[in-house]
Amino acid sequence: MIRIQDLSKVYSMGDIEVNALIDINLRIGKGEFVSVMGPSGSGKSTLMNILGCLDKPTRGKFFLDGEDVSGLDDDALAGIRNKKIGFVFQSFNLLPRMTALHNVELPMIYSGIRREKRIKMAMKALEKVNLSDRIYHQPNELSGGQRQRVAIARTLVNNPSIILADEPTGNLDTKSGEEIMEIFKLLNEEGVTILLVTHEKNIAEYSKRIVTFRDGRIIKDCLKEPLADEEGGLAE
Amino acid sequence: MNILESARVAIRAIWSNKMRSVLTMLGIIIGISSVITVFTLGKGGRTAIGQEFESFGVARVFLGMNWSENPQSGDIMNHADIDALERTFSDEIFAISPRYTTSGEISMNRKNENVYVSGVNEQYNKIERNEIIKGRYLIESDINAAREVALIDSSMAMELFGRLDVLGERITVRTRNRNISLLVVGVFEEKKGLVSNLGIDDPPRYVYIPISAAERIFGIGDQIYGIDMNLQPDVDVQSVLDRMKSMVERRHRNSGEEKYRGYSAESEMETVGRITGIISAVVSSIAAISLVVGGIGVMNIMLVSVTERTREIGIRKAIGARRRDILLQFLVEAVIISGMGGIIGTAFGIGISFAISAFIKIPPGISISTIMIAWLFSAGVGIFFGIYPANKAAKLDPIEALRYE
Repeated sequence: MIRIQDLSKVYSMGDIEVNALIDINLRIGKGEFVSVMGPSGSGKSTLMNILGCLDKPTRGKFFLDGEDVSGLDDDALAGIRNKKIGFVFQSFNLLPRMTALHNVELPMIYSGIRREKRIKMAMKALEKVNLSDRIYHQPNELSGGQRQRVAIARTLVNNPSIILADEPTGNLDTKSGEEIMEIFKLLNEEGVTILLVTHEKNIAEYSKRIVTFRDGRIIKDCLKEPLADEEGGLAE
Repeated sequence: MNILESARVAIRAIWSNKMRSVLTMLGIIIGISSVITVFTLGKGGRTAIGQEFESFGVARVFLGMNWSENPQSGDIMNHADIDALERTFSDEIFAISPRYTTSGEISMNRKNENVYVSGVNEQYNKIERNEIIKGRYLIESDINAAREVALIDSSMAMELFGRLDVLGERITVRTRNRNISLLVVGVFEEKKGLVSNLGIDDPPRYVYIPISAAERIFGIGDQIYGIDMNLQPDVDVQSVLDRMKSMVERRHRNSGEEKYRGYSAESEMETVGRITGIISAVVSSIAAISLVVGGIGVMNIMLVSVTERTREIGIRKAIGARRRDILLQFLVEAVIISGMGGIIGTAFGIGISFAISAFIKIPPGISISTIMIAWLFSAGVGIFFGIYPANKAAKLDPIEALRYE
């Protein structure tokens, strides 16, 4: 469902060219739970941005659910972000001065779902992350762990193909971090595909597969346990 | 995302920055309220001037000597001219009267007041309409016998005698170094028009006497310097006046020498209308400038808002907002700010016009079209000055925007 072929990303900063990703090949199958590790500057974030359709590769191809998205325009990419990608950020990125409910509703506003249906689905998603009693709270009235749970609920409402989590526990204490990872684990068991960027070993332990980056290349790609899903392939 | 959702988002954003939104609106409020005030008072003023002319008589014309062409004694009009005009234009003329006016002084409350003494005939009240409240107007026998009788206005009666019923009293007018004594036979209501309401000037006060008496007192003989007329309502005023003028010219054999000049209230009214039109155009363009300034204020705040909410824009884009969704969100916000400013400004403008019109006694001429135009204009200002900031927001790169602190 995610297939990356000979993908490179070059940033030009003035005269200097920075190779953020060099000839990456990667497949992620449906239902996988992949951790991406590596030191900062290794290309993790660039990969996340490309997988999340926020950025376009310089070379190579990126297939999402069989569709080549590397050549799509901005609005088409926005549509894909809306329907197929769910983002969870280190800094939560909720809209301030808006209730948890409204934050969760937001993706559905852009996909044109009617208000009553939106509210119903948002409630359901919040219930799933155990925040039914906090739906009318604004982000500043919630703890870090609760905020991140709102962000996870926000990714769930459009039933995405993949959840991209960029250091989701980076701003959280250990206990809240564990709670968040338990939720991811649970979601994955229900069949949600998850790609997690982290540099913490114990967080990566929650996933089934760890891909390690260094200097824009994949240096290691190993399974923690055998995959049940045949479709999920390894890096070639 | 549809307009309704954008409006909801925009109202939320406006509401969370109440003070700033109100201050931004202020520019639009001032602009719109001044446009509304100018239009309303301008229209009211034109209506008032129109009414002034109406009371004056739209079909009123004046034919007089053109003193700048040095008319000789043979050019001066006479009673035979009036008779000829009356005969020839019997279908067009409603009333005709010679008028000879001279200034004088009258002692009132031990101080001298300027008055005009006007010699006219019995038809004159069908031209310059005055409401007789005591006594009578001039009658034919006054003219024929050249009686030294007078009509004065109500305020003069009050000032001179302390009462309105002054029939049979005598007034003394000092004019041309001599005193003339006149018997009051009628009192007419003092006219209150636009000019006196504005308090610009004391209205001229008239004492009317028979033309024949004026001719004898002032020794002018059979000379007529001016003829006042009121034409029938359906005639072509200007062409009748031109024909009258050429007839008098033929009678005095001075055609083409421009010894006479004609005035019609109609053409005067057009001139006044043109002038008030120019004035209101000038004032409204000044008001329009304030609207533009208000619009720039809206743009400024929207730019601040876009910068402040860069991260919000990044989040919205990350979860699937397209360029046009962001564009619409900020555009709608700008339009709502200026539109609300427009509504408040309209209310203020109407209030101010009513207050001013009560003060200067001009009826306020509020029209739906003025309000619609002002309001559409303010919304237009919102779109025009909102498009740049909104486009700036829409073009933001989501990755950069998400990183923005």
